[in-house]
Amino acid sequence: MKAISIALFLGMLLPLGLLAAAPEATEVAAEVGKLEAITGKFGVTWPTLIAQMINFCLVATVLYFFAVKPVAKTLDERQQKIADGLQYAEEMKTQLAEAERERAAKIKEAAQDAQRILSEAREQSKEMIEHKTQEAAAHAEAIIRKASEATELERQQMLSDVRKEVARLVVATTSTVLSRELSDADKQTFSDAAAKELASSAS
Amino acid sequence: MTRDKKILRFAKNLVELSREHGVVTESRVAEVLNGLKQAELRRKLLVLKTYLYYIRRIVADQTAVVATPGALSPEALTAIESSFTQLYGRPISAVTTPDASLIAGVRIRVGDDVYDASIAGRLKRFAENVH
Repeated sequence: MKAISIALFLGMLLPLGLLAAAPEATEVAAEVGKLEAITGKFGVTWPTLIAQMINFCLVATVLYFFAVKPVAKTLDERQQKIADGLQYAEEMKTQLAEAERERAAKIKEAAQDAQRILSEAREQSKEMIEHKTQEAAAHAEAIIRKASEATELERQQMLSDVRKEVARLVVATTSTVLSRELSDADKQTFSDAAAKELASSAS
Repeated sequence: MTRDKKILRFAKNLVELSREHGVVTESRVAEVLNGLKQAELRRKLLVLKTYLYYIRRIVADQTAVVATPGALSPEALTAIESSFTQLYGRPISAVTTPDASLIAGVRIRVGDDVYDASIAGRLKRFAENVH
């Protein structure tokens, strides 16, 4: 934009430069005449030149304000947008890299967590297996103990039943034998002795 | 037995009248029964039943029923009477009753108390003590 403005400005000053340079060329006065002749041939006169300069300035001013300046403004805006876009892209790239880094870090952390959870699960399963094994062993032992106790109880009950049955048979046999074998005299003697024993114990 | 307090009290009084030196005797009971026969009572049967209940209890308390399979010598009976009289602090008379299931020995019952010295009783206790 600035380059365009400078070119226009130099374009405007060129005729003035030519005018300013003309008086300084005293040494080449001869050539001035030639120049004047040329200018005369081409129709270059001061009023025309000044009018053209004014005209040029007006056209340049109008161009500057109605064409160059909006174009320059548009170009500036475009350039700003491009710069913003590039900056945004750069920021995005940075954010993307950051996100990528965070993702990688999170993946790594997740992998570590997964590994830790896996090891904990293995430990827990191992402990649970040991615990269940111990429980099963204790349960089996309790069942065996109960079965043994039940067997022992049953054996004791059977022995008790046998003893009772033997005692009942002994008592029945003894009663029968004594009833048959004891004479009346024996019975009276025993009865007297028992009565006296009871009487002595009662007193 | 009735729950009428008047009849109960009257029967107890009759029982006291039936005692002679603390012992219910047959003669005193006969006198009481004669008196009751002559008396005009509204509920005489109930009085007599209550009197009989009390008399039976007292007779059972002052009688030692000696169960034995055979005969028992008089000395043994005397010893039983004297020792149980001393034990209970009231006159106890012994009567025998035959019981062949005892095999030999005696079983004495005084009121609700039972004393067993028979072979059948000993065998029964032996059988009960076997576990």
